[in-house]
Amino acid sequence: MPENFRSVSAVWVGLVCLLFYSRLVRVGAAPICTNGQAGCHILSLADLFDRVIQHSARMHGISSDLHSEFEQYFFPSKNHIGRVNRICHTSTILTPNGKENAQRLAREELTEVILKLLVAWRDPLWHFQQSIAHHHDFNNFSSNKALEMSDMVHELRKGVEKVAEKMQMLGIISNSVNSLTSPEALIPSDRAEWRLMKDYVLLYCFRRDSNKVQNYLKILKCRIIPQHEC
Amino acid sequence: MRRAVGVVYLNLHSFLFFHVLSLCLGYSPPGKPKLTSCRSPEKETFTCWWEPGSDGGLPTTYALYYRKENSDAVYECPDYHTAGENSCFFNKNDTSIWVNYNITVVATNALGSNFSDPVDVDVVYIVQPHTPENVTVTVMEDKDGPFLRVSWEPPRKADTRSGWITLIYELRVKLEGEEEWEEHRAGQQKMFNIFSLRSGGMYLVQVRCKPDHGFWSEWSSTTYIKVPDYFPRETSVWILIAVFSAFIFFILTWILNLKSNSVKHCLLPPVPGPKIKGFDKQLLKNGRSEEVFSALVVPGFPPTTSSDCEDLLVEYLEVYTPEEQELILEEGKDLQEGCLKSKGSPSDSDSGRGSCDSHTLLMEKCGEGEGKEEKHQERAQKGKRQQKHQTGWEEGDVSHTREDVLSPDMSEGRVKTWPSVFSPLPQYSSRPLDHQGSLETARQLCLSDSLFPPPSTSSHLSYNAKEGLALGSGQQEFYLGKKQTHPSNPQSQPRWHLQAHSDFNISSMDRKQAASGLQLPGFRSTEYVEVQRVNQEDMVILQPLFSSSCQRDGHLQIGQGEDYSKVKGVDSGNMLLLQREVEVKREEEDGDRYSCDIQDRVTESCYTTSTAASSQVTGKPTSCAGTAMPVQEEMVLAANGYVDAATMLL
Repeated sequence: MPENFRSVSAVWVGLVCLLFYSRLVRVGAAPICTNGQAGCHILSLADLFDRVIQHSARMHGISSDLHSEFEQYFFPSKNHIGRVNRICHTSTILTPNGKENAQRLAREELTEVILKLLVAWRDPLWHFQQSIAHHHDFNNFSSNKALEMSDMVHELRKGVEKVAEKMQMLGIISNSVNSLTSPEALIPSDRAEWRLMKDYVLLYCFRRDSNKVQNYLKILKCRIIPQHEC
Repeated sequence: MRRAVGVVYLNLHSFLFFHVLSLCLGYSPPGKPKLTSCRSPEKETFTCWWEPGSDGGLPTTYALYYRKENSDAVYECPDYHTAGENSCFFNKNDTSIWVNYNITVVATNALGSNFSDPVDVDVVYIVQPHTPENVTVTVMEDKDGPFLRVSWEPPRKADTRSGWITLIYELRVKLEGEEEWEEHRAGQQKMFNIFSLRSGGMYLVQVRCKPDHGFWSEWSSTTYIKVPDYFPRETSVWILIAVFSAFIFFILTWILNLKSNSVKHCLLPPVPGPKIKGFDKQLLKNGRSEEVFSALVVPGFPPTTSSDCEDLLVEYLEVYTPEEQELILEEGKDLQEGCLKSKGSPSDSDSGRGSCDSHTLLMEKCGEGEGKEEKHQERAQKGKRQQKHQTGWEEGDVSHTREDVLSPDMSEGRVKTWPSVFSPLPQYSSRPLDHQGSLETARQLCLSDSLFPPPSTSSHLSYNAKEGLALGSGQQEFYLGKKQTHPSNPQSQPRWHLQAHSDFNISSMDRKQAASGLQLPGFRSTEYVEVQRVNQEDMVILQPLFSSSCQRDGHLQIGQGEDYSKVKGVDSGNMLLLQREVEVKREEEDGDRYSCDIQDRVTESCYTTSTAASSQVTGKPTSCAGTAMPVQEEMVLAANGYVDAATMLL
């Protein structure tokens, strides 16, 4: 009787292991390919969009936290003398300021705007993170967030580029997007300006821009893939 | 020139006058207004509300001015009325998202104006949607029971379809009458299920929403829903389990009750108590030893009935001669019970004897017998008893004396008897003290007799059934040790006493002593006695043998002569038939009798008979010569000199 029980339990354990393994294999192991090559797991556009949007949401969250911290410690009063003139270095980038304006834009343009924004913020954030790391006024928590933020921008840009590629592949948008992704072309003359920005203004601007990115991505997604979630 | 100056001077004057007048009257410029909040319901328009300060008593007007980010152009509120009093509504055209508005409210009255503090507003962060609409709750059925399905729609103005706004929802439920709500986050879905409902309960449901970065909306209006009655499956399972457990519990209790005794024995084994017959724990606790010991005297012990006698030791009589000389009458016969006669020689061995027949024990008895005899003597001194003792061996009284003599011993239980093969065992009375002639009885009497002097004198042996038979024969004395068992059941039936009178010697000795059966001094050798007759009180009257002697186991051979020590048999009339022999010969009859080995055996047919059971004295003088006992009592002797009490019994 104990032998029977042991064998049965062994079979059960084996089955359970097989189930788990198969699930694992299904989820992560296969590389993501956008070209529909054989042997790899193809992510749908909707999945890509969802990932990107989640990423941007997280990025925005971190930027909001950092901005709140800055405001608490360095600008307790809003009526600070010598009020800072918040001029963001990305103000040169034309972005739609309303729903209608955003909906009026074509998908490619919208995608371009998103990419422009993301590209524009890569360097400033990197420098910001560097300055925070060397500054002893900030705690580790803030410096970690800054680092994470700068990484996220970089990754988000890659993700959006992938989405654009996917869309181009699917014929949703034209191929004109790629040409605009080079950073030099976007902001050739702004290099000097962002160095002047103070950290606070930087955070303020980035918070806003990350919100824009997130919103634009959502609009893009709902326009391209209308689902019940939209 | 002069005119212009004059006009100016006049204006100034009137102005000053007006102001002074106002001040004198208590008017003042308006207080500072304050912007309370700005909200956008759908991220396309927004509204700002302000709070007016004191108006200073004069009608005050408010104006809202705003500046857009990075622009110096000041614009006034386009709409003061849509949103109500003290509000400014910005429509879609005037609203720019992701643009910082710098808003200021100005209160103006006749005396002056007052600016509020500027407020920076970015529409993205001030979104507060309207409540979700069309909240519907339905009851749906599931295998586990009913559940609530709540569904709603986003507020009409919020554009979630284009992805412009992303709303997350939250709902709350409570039972009617409760105070606390149960809140659930629903995320972006527009439907939610609520489980674990109370059957028959009335539920209240509310929903609200919030943009991903914004403020929560107000709770929607309450929706009421009633859950129908149902029986929850969980409860039924628990009820089943409870009933089952109770059932098993009751069964176990019942079984335990039935087997309570065995369980008690298992868990608490009974402490063994004393198993002595007649032992009374209560008496012992009371601490009175006499009562305890008296209680131990169980009438049924030692058993003496014939049915038990085979299991018990043989009853036999040992007759010992006291102290320096011991004359022991032996039996030539071997009894079944193995009653062995004690030796004549001092060297004694315990082999082949019953437990009670040790030499020392008998000596003890002798000693006791002495004491007893004294006692008896004392007793005998009372009234006719004394006379009986002294006269000894008179008929009719012997029994009394016997009784007296015997009974105390009986009560002390020193005499032990074993049931004899011979048969009907004598019955003992439970209380030997209170009856006449209802005594003991030795089945067998082993007499060791001492040589008797000339036959002219017949010696009467006063036999003390309990302890011993004392014979007076010159200087010989012997004891008849009789061991008797307690009567198992008192019967009035054949009981008999053995009494031997020693006549001849009495004269030479203290008669008293002899009568009471005390030991007589100066035993020289073993003597044999013969039963002369049995008197009416069932006393066996012995007389010494003159010539016969039997030797056995080293005993002396007395000699040859007539002897009546053989019991020939018991006839139907309960008469013991003695056999007179010249010489004693060993023979075995029915395994009951002993006889000594004698070369020449002369068997005579003369015998004496005695009736043991008859109450009448039927003394018969022996037809044989030699012994003529004047006494009426008869003695019966076994062939080998032993008198078998059993044979007397009929």
